[in-house]
Amino acid sequence: MSQILFEIPKVEIMGSGHLACPGCGATMAMRYALKALGRKTVVVIPACCWSIIDGAAPYSVLGVPVFHTAFETAASTATGIKAGFVAQGKTDINVLAWAGDGGTFDIGFQSLSGAAERNEDIIYVCYDNEAYMNTGIQRSSATPQGAWTTTTPVQNPKSRPKKNIVDALAAHHIPYIATASVSYPDDFIRKLRKAKSMKGMRFLHILSPCPPGWKSQAEDSVKIARLAVECCVFPLYEVHDGRRYNLTHKPKGLPVKEYLKLQGRFRHLSDADIEKIQTEVDHNWRTLQRRVEFSTEIDTRSDVSDQGATK
Amino acid sequence: MKRVLEAQLDKYFNPQTTAEIKVIEGTHAASHAAKLARVKTISAYPITPQTSIVELLSEMCASGDLEAQFIKVESEHSAMACLIGAEATGARSFTATSSQGLLLMHEVLHWAAAARLPIVMVNVNRALAPPWNIWTDQTDSLAQRDTGWIQFYAESNQEVLDTILMAYRLGEQVMLPVMINMDAFFLSHTAEPVAIPKQNLVDEFLPAYRPEFTLDVNDPRAFGGLTKPDRYMEFRYNIQKAMETAARLIPTVAEEYDYLIGRHHGTQVEEYRTEDAEYLLVTSGTITGTTRIVVDQFRDQGVPLGLLKIRTFRPFPDQAIRNAVAHVKKIGVIDRNISFGSGGIFFNEIKAAIYNAKVHPLLNGYVAGLGGRDVTPSVITDIAEHLIKSKQGKDLIWIGVKK
Amino acid sequence: MTEVLEIRDGVPSFAISVGTMEWNKTGSWRYMRPRYEDKIPPCTVGCPTNEKIPRYFALVKEKKYEAAWHIILEDNPLPGVCGRVCYHPCETVCNRLEFDEPIAINHLERFVADQNFTRRYPKHFFVPKNGRKVAIVGSGPAGLSAAYQLARRGYEPVIYEARDEAGGMLRLGIPEYRLPREILDKEINDIISLGVIIKTGVSIGTTISWDSLKKDNDVVLIATGAHKPRSIDLPGSNLTGVTSGLSFLTRYNLTGKADIASRLLVVGGGNTAIDTARTAIRLGADVTLVYRRSRDEMPAVPEEIEAAEQEGVKIQYLTAPIAFLGTDRLEKVRLIRMELGTQDKSGRRRPIPILGSEYEVEVEQVLLAIGEIPRLDFLPHSFDKTGKRVTVDSFQLTNQKGIFACGDVAAGPVGTVVDAIATGKMAALAIDQYLTKGEITPPPQIKNGVPYAELNLDYFFPEQRAPSRFTPAGESIRSFEEVHHGLEPSDALYEAHRCFSCGVCTECDLCLIYCPDVAIKQTRNGSGYIINYDYCKGCGLCVKECPRNAMTFEEEVQ
Repeated sequence: MSQILFEIPKVEIMGSGHLACPGCGATMAMRYALKALGRKTVVVIPACCWSIIDGAAPYSVLGVPVFHTAFETAASTATGIKAGFVAQGKTDINVLAWAGDGGTFDIGFQSLSGAAERNEDIIYVCYDNEAYMNTGIQRSSATPQGAWTTTTPVQNPKSRPKKNIVDALAAHHIPYIATASVSYPDDFIRKLRKAKSMKGMRFLHILSPCPPGWKSQAEDSVKIARLAVECCVFPLYEVHDGRRYNLTHKPKGLPVKEYLKLQGRFRHLSDADIEKIQTEVDHNWRTLQRRVEFSTEIDTRSDVSDQGATK
Repeated sequence: MKRVLEAQLDKYFNPQTTAEIKVIEGTHAASHAAKLARVKTISAYPITPQTSIVELLSEMCASGDLEAQFIKVESEHSAMACLIGAEATGARSFTATSSQGLLLMHEVLHWAAAARLPIVMVNVNRALAPPWNIWTDQTDSLAQRDTGWIQFYAESNQEVLDTILMAYRLGEQVMLPVMINMDAFFLSHTAEPVAIPKQNLVDEFLPAYRPEFTLDVNDPRAFGGLTKPDRYMEFRYNIQKAMETAARLIPTVAEEYDYLIGRHHGTQVEEYRTEDAEYLLVTSGTITGTTRIVVDQFRDQGVPLGLLKIRTFRPFPDQAIRNAVAHVKKIGVIDRNISFGSGGIFFNEIKAAIYNAKVHPLLNGYVAGLGGRDVTPSVITDIAEHLIKSKQGKDLIWIGVKK
Repeated sequence: MTEVLEIRDGVPSFAISVGTMEWNKTGSWRYMRPRYEDKIPPCTVGCPTNEKIPRYFALVKEKKYEAAWHIILEDNPLPGVCGRVCYHPCETVCNRLEFDEPIAINHLERFVADQNFTRRYPKHFFVPKNGRKVAIVGSGPAGLSAAYQLARRGYEPVIYEARDEAGGMLRLGIPEYRLPREILDKEINDIISLGVIIKTGVSIGTTISWDSLKKDNDVVLIATGAHKPRSIDLPGSNLTGVTSGLSFLTRYNLTGKADIASRLLVVGGGNTAIDTARTAIRLGADVTLVYRRSRDEMPAVPEEIEAAEQEGVKIQYLTAPIAFLGTDRLEKVRLIRMELGTQDKSGRRRPIPILGSEYEVEVEQVLLAIGEIPRLDFLPHSFDKTGKRVTVDSFQLTNQKGIFACGDVAAGPVGTVVDAIATGKMAALAIDQYLTKGEITPPPQIKNGVPYAELNLDYFFPEQRAPSRFTPAGESIRSFEEVHHGLEPSDALYEAHRCFSCGVCTECDLCLIYCPDVAIKQTRNGSGYIINYDYCKGCGLCVKECPRNAMTFEEEVQ
């Protein structure tokens, strides 16, 4: 009787009983990622929600080795783990750095940049819930403009736009960058599988809804993440070699208000504020489209990453 | 002087165990030790005067003399984080740093120790800024007192090499990381003859690293997960126990090293001419070598002066110190470091150690040679004379501060 | 090595995990509980027989056409007939109508029936006989439906049919180009295969008296339909050439012959009127149809009206005859134009003649198709009646003990095949209860469980409805070959896939895919899902993301 819309691998490497809040996007993301990468994977988790979600020691909800590490060290520890394996002849293990937006955009940015510049053979996933959620919703450089957090109260919401982490990583000319959404599991898994098939630094940016932090309903997590895509707030695309851009999903181009209105963190925004955000989103979307268009003109022989080839 | 050299020649250059004698700087002695230990991963960031260690190692890796993954990271913090990862896979790893670099690592030094990863690191003791100063001073490493790292202080380039090999053996046995400290320039950039032991003997002394738990996809486990108060304290207790075990094992490891390679640099401490000594100077690092000469001079004059060299700051050799001071009347501790608001750091540790001893000799704390200022035989002679004349112990005596 | 690696309480001396988190039963966090609950889709409510449309669509999607047929047969033994002639009220309530175009449910029903044309009922339809006979008067869709449902429940129904062949209005009134007789025969024979006895040529009141029928049976079901054409009281009604459309159709359908003039006028707007007009045009006549309201009010199936127009039937809306003119024979009809006024009881706008708009047209024949009424002369006067029909309650029970009535003879929804089938089914279920329990409990009221707003439309994309395939009008009027060709198998699959499957789980896996707590699993036999409430935190994502509202989220009962 089944009418499958899309198939995802049956294997469950993440188990039940974890400590995530109901409706947690980061948890869905981990589940998909491990389905795509399989059991020959080691996960490196710096300080972030997942430090808690994985469970209270001496237990772990993940069926792969997990290494908890310091806040700013996801990329560097992952680098070392990969090097350790390679040094011992174990070259087929995926090393997955799994960091939040704080650990990626902010405190871990240096080690991430270093690893990216060296083109370390790791997969770095940033599950971005757009604030320091684990510490109680403080703004990060991933917090979008206009959003409420406990350190950007409604009287003075975040005035600066979100850091464009994909652009920042693209500037490192790494072989593969992709955005992915928990609401498009097939696209998500396809990208992680693609990442798995490549060598060198692979970076995935995942928008990860956080019901407590976004002041949204747990049941709406998938809907909100989908609206982020369809409103062009968070388009789904890939960047190869830091320069060749392609879209993996054509958004419907819904008004950004559709996305904002399901989240309490944006409730204080006036129509004028929303219009401003819309303008910013439109601009970013046009920029991305131009890059996609221009990408067809780029000769792949000019790729600069030395290890980007498929394994 | 002649005696020291003869002793050294005897001790250091055993032709049966030596592959080669090289006249090299301390930094290169460290590089050779890492190579002999067959390290699998190296990660480092440049800082004077450590840099020559990893420069030579990069050459060794590039030439294929050393089969290791060398990750040239963008900071010391990343260097240590990187090795934490590598070591967790079961790969023996090595790094070197100094001064500011060591301070930047501080957070992850705790991580390495509490994750029970026996990484070995050479720290070239260098003064801290500001103002900029690249010369020797121990405050950088002593500030890492509570990180859970075993700390050795070397007196010679040979001791640097030998201690690194022993550090792997010891650290891997007790699952704690080890830091080997050498003085900036006095060792790091001073060429000395160094016996490079034969690789097969080193291999015998130091078997491959095979930890019981590693990041293993066939035995998946989470390392360092959220631990509640009901278990956390036991993990801390275990680290302390490991330190105590290390204290117990250090003499054994030293003996085994002596047995196989034919060299012994002492245990947690080394006593020099302490037989019947009434006065005792306590030193660490290169000041020790200078002090040996002064002790010889005093002995030649019939003054019962002895020397206690501290080799390990962590675990701290409380018992060895209590034993050494059992029969002396006066002790002078020479510190090339300062804990602001208190005094010399070795002094304070020794003072604490002897509190529970049966006898309480007079105890003076001397701070000398900060930021690379020379501690010459005459400086030490002054200290010894001051000690001998002292009527009452004094915690902090500055040596050579210009008025 | 590892001298310090002690194991204390099963935990190594440093922080590494020794097990999973499964001990942590996060179900205790839950205050809302999701569960799987199929809802009744609007099409099932819209269908008078309540066919389980998404259920058989699901089987069509898997190309399990026989199983799909069995699902339809639970409610309707005449899918081949209904798939051709039904006015498909299911499609007018289809949620897809609001999204793009309704699903071609009617065509799919026919597709399923046609796929099973050579098949017979499955074994499990044949149940042991309980020895109880039920008399049914009339073998039209109502009688056949009731007989079928009773036979499926072990009864031995006997149908008394006045005509020589079974089928009632299906055979008498519906032209072959809409309903090939082999389809009708096949489905009647299927019903007979269950042990239903059809005694043809038996007329109650003539061959057998009402009283003896009543005496010999515990229960009698009247399903005689409405066969008496409604008359019209206009000047000239008695002229030769003014006849009933139904009589014309019946004659042609039974004998293949009918007198036909070259210019004729059909009066009426129902399916009989259209059938009459299209039959007449096939026989070579120049046909004009007049209807007193506008097309919007026309009760005939819209596709039929369209087909009639394409075939050359000239339709004059808002037009009614006021007199038939001629001496002996009809020569002219006087017509008047109408306009629509306020709504009448039927909810349609009342036609009002426009004074002075009279005009005359020359015709040789008028076929009146303005409705049919039942013949009730064989029944005693003691029957309560509503208008010209037998009064029944909601269980099709008349005011007489043990006498039920269904189809067009009974008051209630009349005039369509599917309503007849539905009331026949209802009568059978009531009769079963009446005979086994002595009383009848009301059937559960069903209502639409999936309003459009309850669907999660994020998973659907506008898709055109599969096209219907017809013989071109120019060609179709040259014979009585079936005009509509049904759906191509690929189109049938496409339509089945287009279906939202409102309220009915299609096992699309979305709930399982999205569950952040890995608390949803497929059942062991692979059909459907189970929620592990030990771990379900009650986030509600599964319910919210279900595209078709086949899950329910409700407060946790402690």
